[in-house]
Amino acid sequence: MKNPYYPIDTVVEDIITETPTIKTFVLKPAQPFTFKAGQFMQLTVPGVGEAPFTPSSDPNVTEKMEITILRTGKVTDALHDLRPGAKVGLRGPFGKGYPMDKLAGKEVLVVGGGVGLAPMRALLYALFADPKKYKKIVIKFGAREPAELSFRRQYDEWRALSDNISLQTTIDVPHPDWDGHVGLVTTLLEPAKLEGLRIDDSYALSCGPEIMLKFVTLKLLEIGYKPPQIYLSMNRKMSCGMGKCGRCNVGHYYLCVDGPDMCYDKIKHVPNVFG
Amino acid sequence: MKFIDSTNFERLLKKLFGEGELFVPVRDEETQKLHIERIEEFPLPERTALDGFRTVETMKGFAQLLRSTVAEYPSPDLDETDADEKIPTFIVVGARACDVAAMELVDKVQVEGDFIDPFYKIRRDKMIVVAADCTDCGQSCFCTLVGGKPWPEKGFDLAVSKVSGGYLLETGSERGEAIVADNADLFTEPRDGQEKMREETRQKVLKKVQEANRDYLPAERITAPLREKISDEAWVSEVARCVECGACTNICPTCYCFLLYDMTAGEEFRRVMAWDSCQVTGYARMAGMANPRPRLTDRVKHRYYHKYDYLPQSHGAVFCTGCGRCIDTCSAGIDMRKVFRSVLGAAAK
Repeated sequence: MKNPYYPIDTVVEDIITETPTIKTFVLKPAQPFTFKAGQFMQLTVPGVGEAPFTPSSDPNVTEKMEITILRTGKVTDALHDLRPGAKVGLRGPFGKGYPMDKLAGKEVLVVGGGVGLAPMRALLYALFADPKKYKKIVIKFGAREPAELSFRRQYDEWRALSDNISLQTTIDVPHPDWDGHVGLVTTLLEPAKLEGLRIDDSYALSCGPEIMLKFVTLKLLEIGYKPPQIYLSMNRKMSCGMGKCGRCNVGHYYLCVDGPDMCYDKIKHVPNVFG
Repeated sequence: MKFIDSTNFERLLKKLFGEGELFVPVRDEETQKLHIERIEEFPLPERTALDGFRTVETMKGFAQLLRSTVAEYPSPDLDETDADEKIPTFIVVGARACDVAAMELVDKVQVEGDFIDPFYKIRRDKMIVVAADCTDCGQSCFCTLVGGKPWPEKGFDLAVSKVSGGYLLETGSERGEAIVADNADLFTEPRDGQEKMREETRQKVLKKVQEANRDYLPAERITAPLREKISDEAWVSEVARCVECGACTNICPTCYCFLLYDMTAGEEFRRVMAWDSCQVTGYARMAGMANPRPRLTDRVKHRYYHKYDYLPQSHGAVFCTGCGRCIDTCSAGIDMRKVFRSVLGAAAK
C-alpha cells in the first residue's frame, strides 16, 4: 500500500519575488503532477515541516508547478530562505478544486485579496484556457499597498486575452505610487463597478484572509448573490490532507477533502464560520 | 455458543500467546480498577479479571500508536509486506462493548472511504479481539444513552460471558471461528441454565446502567437540539473550568485526531504522527497566528459538536460509546452528560 505521508522529491527550479513578503517557487517534481485549479498541495521543507499551499500555476502544465507563498511562519520562513536548486517534497493534490463545470456558460466574478491572489491565478489560468466558454470573467484584486499586489506584470496580458475579461485592482489606503482605485476590495463590488454583470447568471469565487472573505460574502449577499452562487477558499490548517487528522473542520466538512473551496450555502450555518 | 471452563480458558489464552502479544485486564489492588497489561509469561497474573466493567485504558493505542514514524526521508516508501512482518499479532482480551464499538467507529475514519491509513490498517488487521460482557457498571458508564448495551454484539473475534465455573463463548468473525475449531477439545456445549444465567446478568447490568443514567439525555435528544440556537453563556458556565489538559481526548476511544510533524536526524528527517487534542489552544492555529477557535469554550464545544453532530453527518454515527472515561479523567470534574443536560435543557425536552 502506498504511504500517503511520504512526499515526492521535488527541486526548486526558480524563485520569483512577487512582493516584499511573497515569492513564487517554481517546482519540478520527480514525477509529473496533475492538479485541478483550487486543489492544494502539502509542501515539505526537509527537517522543518510541511504546510498546505494551493498552486498558483496553470493546471494544464504538469511537469512544473508554481506555488506563491507569503512569508508568515516557520515553514514559509524556511521556504523564503531557500535558493534555486534546493530540494523540497510534495504530497497531493488534495481537495476538490473549484467547481469548473458549474462556471461554464456563466458570468464569473473572481475576488482576491493579498496572498489570496495566488490560488486565484490557477483558477484564472483554467478560465483563460477557453475564455469564451464563460459569458464574462470579472476580476477584482485588492491588496494593502501597491507593492503587495502579486502578478502585476501579467495584468495587462490577461486583459488583452479576450474582450469578455476585465480586471480591476485596488489598494486599501492611498499610496504615493498609486493612482488607481483606493479602498477595500469590497468597494469594487458596488453594482456600478461590476461591468454590467448579471448577478442571477453568475458565480462569485473568492480567496483571501478570512476577515476579507467575511466582508466579501456580506457584500455579495447585499448586491444580490444567493449563498449557492458563492464559493469561498476556506483555507485552514490542513495537515494530513485525507480527512483524518481533524485540524481543518468547518462544521462536519473537512476542508482538505470537501474543500478548500466551499460553497457558502453549505457552511453558512456553521457557528463562527469565519473564525 | 460454547462453554469453556476457567482452566481451559487460560489454556486457550496460552495458546494464543504463542501467536502474538497478549494483553489482559488486571485489577489494581488499591483502586480495584482494571488496567490492560501485557503478559510476559504464564500463568496469568492472579488479579487477571474479566468481570466488572471496562479498563482504564482504551484499545485505540493498539491500532493508532501514541507516537509513530510515518515517513523517513530520504528512504524508500513504506513497504507493506515488510511492515506487516514487523508488527506482531495483538490479542486483546477483555475488551468491553463500548471499546469494540469505538474501534468500529474509528475504522470508519481510518480504513473506510477514499483514503486508507496503511499504518492503522496493518495494526488493526493484526488485532484479535476477545471481548467480554460487563458484569457491573462504573459511576461514569453511560453506554445506554448512546445506543449501546453492556455486552458486545459485534466487532469481536471471540466474546466471553462469565458464568459459574467459566465462560460462555461466542464467535464474531471467521478468525474467531478458526480459533474455536483449532481448539475444539477445550470447549463443551453450554450446560442447562447457563444461557439463562448469562441473560440474567446482562439484564441486571443493563438495568443498573439505565438506572444510573435516567436523569441524562440520550443521544437522540442531543444531536438535533445541538443545531438549535444555544446561548453561549450556557456553554461558558459549564465548561469554563476546563484546564485544557487534553486528558479527555487522549483517553477517548473514538478520538482519532493527530498531529504530523517533522524531526531532523542528521541528514535525514522523520515525519512523526502523534495523538493530538482539539482542546489545546494551538491545535487549529495557522501560520500568522489566525485561530478559528481561539476561545476555550469554542474548543470544548467543538469536541462535543464533532462527536454528536458533525460525525453523524459525515460518518453516519455518534462518535461516543458511553465509556465515561472522559468523565473519570477530567481534573475539572466536567461530566459530558451534565453539560448536555444543562446546555440543551429546554431545547431537548
